Amino acid sequence: MGTIVTIDVYRGDCSDDSPLEASLEAAIAILHDADVLFSTWKPESPISRIRRGELDVDEAPAIIREVLEQCGVARSLSGGWFDPWALPSGVDPTGLVKGWAAQRALAALRHDAIDGAIVNAAGDIASFGGPTADKKFRVGIINPANPRSLACIIESPGAVATSGSYERGQHLFDPRRGIFTASVASGTVVGPELGLADALATALVVGGTEVLDILERLDDFEGLVIESGGKLLTTTGFPIVS
Amino acid sequence: MKRAPLVMMGTVAGLAGVLSFNSTPAKLTLGSLASSSSGTSSAPSTTTTASSSPPPTTATSTVTTPPRTAPTTTTTSAPPVTTTTVSSSVRTAIGPSVDYNFGILSVQVKVTGSKITNVSIASINDGGNYRSVSIDQQAIPLLEQEVMQAQSGNIQSISGASYTSAGFIQSLQSALSKLGL
Repeated sequence: MGTIVTIDVYRGDCSDDSPLEASLEAAIAILHDADVLFSTWKPESPISRIRRGELDVDEAPAIIREVLEQCGVARSLSGGWFDPWALPSGVDPTGLVKGWAAQRALAALRHDAIDGAIVNAAGDIASFGGPTADKKFRVGIINPANPRSLACIIESPGAVATSGSYERGQHLFDPRRGIFTASVASGTVVGPELGLADALATALVVGGTEVLDILERLDDFEGLVIESGGKLLTTTGFPIVS
Repeated sequence: MKRAPLVMMGTVAGLAGVLSFNSTPAKLTLGSLASSSSGTSSAPSTTTTASSSPPPTTATSTVTTPPRTAPTTTTTSAPPVTTTTVSSSVRTAIGPSVDYNFGILSVQVKVTGSKITNVSIASINDGGNYRSVSIDQQAIPLLEQEVMQAQSGNIQSISGASYTSAGFIQSLQSALSKLGL
């Protein structure tokens, strides 16, 4: 996946770190496993073999089928704005798998001694709990016009994913028009699960306000669009704090 | 304080994982430098986050994919920090020059006590091609900001579309290690 993942674990009184070490080790192993399976950069990875037509999806590892099923869910939820099957280079679940892997890594951190944890996969965040028992995690959303600054601060409901055109250029594929494009400067989606949030954020930055309208009708997900002029548009339930 | 570097068992090319523990409030939580490498590929790296009270335990896993055109090299742990200056309570260190996917860079960090007060690029050579320059102009300020924001205490994490440079983190980590953080 070519990315950096940061894991923060908040714990109460705990003199023995060893159970935490085991949890962290398990979480990190999950991330590396996902990279082995899903890296489109690695020619020998199962996903690369599927893309070249060398491996049938039905014969692929179960975990790959699970991710592709989630991609189908995301395509449906997004009204087709997220579509890993529409890419000219072959099926590419990259838009979902980073978040999905981070969410799985987070699950490995559930432990009595852990009050809260954050898995931040290059800007896409899965979390449970908070910095203290009575608080939720606060997440800063990068201002796409100036990545040194924040556009706003939100409370994380568990998953926060942001996609944008500002770092990699126009790398986002519009499945409806069949071209690489970005409608807005950045799109953020929050919800209960990071894989779907990641995919929906990709859809949001491609589809802009059309996808914001779709998110408005979904119960579990909320969205934020930052337009190239700096204007912020959100669904009604988006958890902005300041 | 207890630090427990964890080297990932996987021998997949260019993977490294780090974790550390910090049981002292209001101090930086930093990953210790650790790396692994296979015999066939390059660029293991580590990363770090900073935070204030209450102290999280921080673990970082870096998954780097070499560029398609990358030469095949074997890399072990980072080279030593090249310079350190000490003046009153503000201390500065420059990390080693690290090869990242789009060039070579080194990171300078200033700390006051245990608090990072500035993170900047000490040197960079990205070859000047448009794509490298474009990525650097966007990604490096973000990385600098992440380090600064993460210890502010008002927020716990940052969400953004990022192209994160493992090289930046690796050089920063070495600089911080030199300062005993």
